Amino acid sequence: MNLSAAIYSIRWLVRDTFRQARASGIFWLMLGVSALCVLLCLSVGARGPLTLGGDGEAAEFVSPRDPAVDPAKAAAQGVDVAGAEMSLAFGAVRLPLARDVRDGVRFLQLLLAGGVADAAGVLLALVWTAGFLPTFLEPSAASVLLAKPAPRWSLLAGKYLGVLAFVAFQAVVFVGGTWAALGLRTGVWDAAYLWCVPLLLVHFAIFFSFSTLIAVCTRSTVACVVGSLLFWALCWGMNYGRHVVVGLPDAKEMQGALSSAVEAGYWVLPKPADMNILLFDALDAGKHFGPNTAMRAARDGDAFAPEMSILSSLLFTVVMLFVAGRQFLTTDY
Amino acid sequence: MTAAPVAEFHGATKVYRVGLSRRLIRAVIDVRFRVEAGEVFGLLGPNRAGKTTLVKLLLSLCRPTAGSVTRLGRPASDASTLARVGYVHENPAFPRYWDAAGLLAYYGALSLMHEPDVRRRVPELLERVGLADRCREPIAGFSKGMVQRLALAQALLNDPDLLVLDEPAEGLDLLGRRLVHEVIGERRKQGKTVLLVSHALSDVAALCDRVAVLVGGSVTHLGSLESLTRGAESRPLEQAVQDLYAGAVA
Repeated sequence: MNLSAAIYSIRWLVRDTFRQARASGIFWLMLGVSALCVLLCLSVGARGPLTLGGDGEAAEFVSPRDPAVDPAKAAAQGVDVAGAEMSLAFGAVRLPLARDVRDGVRFLQLLLAGGVADAAGVLLALVWTAGFLPTFLEPSAASVLLAKPAPRWSLLAGKYLGVLAFVAFQAVVFVGGTWAALGLRTGVWDAAYLWCVPLLLVHFAIFFSFSTLIAVCTRSTVACVVGSLLFWALCWGMNYGRHVVVGLPDAKEMQGALSSAVEAGYWVLPKPADMNILLFDALDAGKHFGPNTAMRAARDGDAFAPEMSILSSLLFTVVMLFVAGRQFLTTDY
Repeated sequence: MTAAPVAEFHGATKVYRVGLSRRLIRAVIDVRFRVEAGEVFGLLGPNRAGKTTLVKLLLSLCRPTAGSVTRLGRPASDASTLARVGYVHENPAFPRYWDAAGLLAYYGALSLMHEPDVRRRVPELLERVGLADRCREPIAGFSKGMVQRLALAQALLNDPDLLVLDEPAEGLDLLGRRLVHEVIGERRKQGKTVLLVSHALSDVAALCDRVAVLVGGSVTHLGSLESLTRGAESRPLEQAVQDLYAGAVA
């Protein structure tokens, strides 16, 4: 099979996935969640200084609520006075901001990306798309497809890429929509927030490769849902646990089987907690949330290498897809 | 027309392991025959005789436990020859979210056909199977007969040299059955090969040049159906086939 024919058939498998998503209602459900969040962002209003201090420099400002400071005097001396306010639900809820509007917007973006999209979003996307492959591989439907000359690996690759394209589309709508809505309402156009799209997609792709393997082996939606959620929890526990161990005061003295097992588990399995650190770093979340001791210790020490963490997780994805492909090639229909 | 046999089974055997106890099921045992180019070949046999397994071996949907299978002169494992094969599944289940025209275009892409050929063939075939006026309706609303007609259309999309029909008339009305007969007749005229799996003895008798009767996974008769009724004791065809089934089962 030449490359153009492979691309042509994969393109149709991506199209098939989008149709499947629309027919199952998942397409509209996810768009609905995005629409709600965009609406929430459109309801945001802001008043006060956009940014205190320039980019990359430590801002000097005083709070108007500080009894020891006279805001008028401070302003006259050229010191910025923080006094921003953010409103939600078209002004129904008003929140005073400790700093500037940019800070308030960043906090909202953090809640949207870290809370809605990363934690709940990836898991919900895994659950909602878990049935796509088992339905595709159901024998009476798959037999006709497998009797076509398109190689089995390309069918599996096409469907995997189709689900990825669907989730990427939804991630772009969610992140792009909320970013644009917040920008329009507040004037804050923070491009760092857009890093969420590739990070969320990589996070999803890693765990969907495991779901793909379960689908090929069992052809069961329930097994895919339960299996991928349990696996995600296992990986998160392994990832977090390793950072806790590394952060222990006497970690360097720890030797032997336990230490090796923890390191092996950490490097072999995907690292959802590390993805979380990367997302929070991209959004500069340290200003808003108190540091998680274990994560911070790993990050600030030499135990966390972002590139190696992502690369090893992607390697896991490649291995899962390879094993799934091998299994699919040898499965009788 | 291809000179080499279109399909050939060289002692093909398929054994499945089922259940937790991994019990052995011998679906097909040491099957040897060939289907020549241009003939309409029938596969007959009672339920669980191994007919569908034989078709699956031919289409490389499963691999033989022993022996080998060739398709269009190449080992069945070579997927490239599937570009010259059309297949109607015994119980076709298509993605219900497609409409008929979209589904055929999708299958055309997976058949590695050129896009312009797909665009040309789809309306022709929908017209041929009587679905032209329903081509933009979702398959979810199709009756079993309409799905069967669609299955026939997708199998003909690439103008195959080998058309494999597993119970193609299942769920079809009289007009639908006539359509199947006409399609098989057209393929024969064009010198193409058809492998027909059917329980309908009258269809097989009317359409097939030769048949293989499978019972218990083994071929118990290979040749024309008429040859079954010849011999010392002359009996009706139906009786002869029934005796063949019963004898082998006993």
